[in-house]
Amino acid sequence: MDKNHFLQSFAEQFDDTDPSTITLETHFKEMEEWSSMVALMIIAMVDEQYSKKITGADLREANTIEQLFERVSSK
Amino acid sequence: MTEYSPFSLHGKHILVAGASSGIGWAICKSIVAAGGKVTGVARRADLLQKMAQELGEGNAFFIEADLATDNGIEKVAAMMPDVNGLVYAAGVSKMLPLKFIKRESLEELMNINYFSMVLLLAQMVRQKKIKRNAHSSIVLISSVAQQIGTKSSILYTGSKGAMSSASKAIANELSSQKIRVNTIEPGMVQTAMASEMEDVISAEAVEKDKAKYPLGYGMPDDVANTAVFLLSDASKWMTGRSLTLDGGRYVLLD
Repeated sequence: MDKNHFLQSFAEQFDDTDPSTITLETHFKEMEEWSSMVALMIIAMVDEQYSKKITGADLREANTIEQLFERVSSK
Repeated sequence: MTEYSPFSLHGKHILVAGASSGIGWAICKSIVAAGGKVTGVARRADLLQKMAQELGEGNAFFIEADLATDNGIEKVAAMMPDVNGLVYAAGVSKMLPLKFIKRESLEELMNINYFSMVLLLAQMVRQKKIKRNAHSSIVLISSVAQQIGTKSSILYTGSKGAMSSASKAIANELSSQKIRVNTIEPGMVQTAMASEMEDVISAEAVEKDKAKYPLGYGMPDDVANTAVFLLSDASKWMTGRSLTLDGGRYVLLD
């Protein structure tokens, strides 16, 4: 799994946020555009692109995008 | 001698498709409790054996079959004796935002939630396995989801909408044989399917949703008891209709 590819895919799920402002260190749940809908899109994106299942608990446990990447990588 | 009750299922044999689901299993138990006999259909033989033991021999029979396949449907229709009713409780749910939907996931949900329901009824009717002119009743477990528009529930909502719409046409076709067809449209019921959704969303979001239900989330028994009413002669003037069970969620607004 490539970290930057994950970051790019993550950023693509947002419609109103400038992708250049989203980094691996971003605390994603503190983003203005973060919502339950975006959470569902992240879960679907991980399933589609990496064939891995993550849950609401994974999103809850991770604070930064990098931490989420590590959780996905370890599955 | 006990007095006749129109709410009793005494003397009635009911087929339950999707017997191992939370709601399907509760319906099997309620049918037997109401004096009827039940044949449940599910995929897992070990579960079926356990279920037959719990409900008692002579009251409950089970057929191991995969209703997602034509072979499974043909097997059920071939093995069943004539019945007084049928409940379709087989179904799956999947939350997926619109932009991630592909033909494969769409077909997966439509197949078990809608196609198999129509195909099972078609085979049962073709083989004259549902007793005619005998107050027979078909009950389809749909969902309140098909009345509203929950985000990411397009796959499920569409399949249940198809079921609810088609039920009216099926009811019309079968009315000449006095076979009734009604749907139950439940809101959130505490089942394994609901727990899976809780896992996907979050426990907090589920708690927030639960608080919007004036009577709280439903239990499988709540749906099962309504199914017994629709299967019984107590509802013999009702067909082509739907009963919404949602603890007041979508009608009692603040």
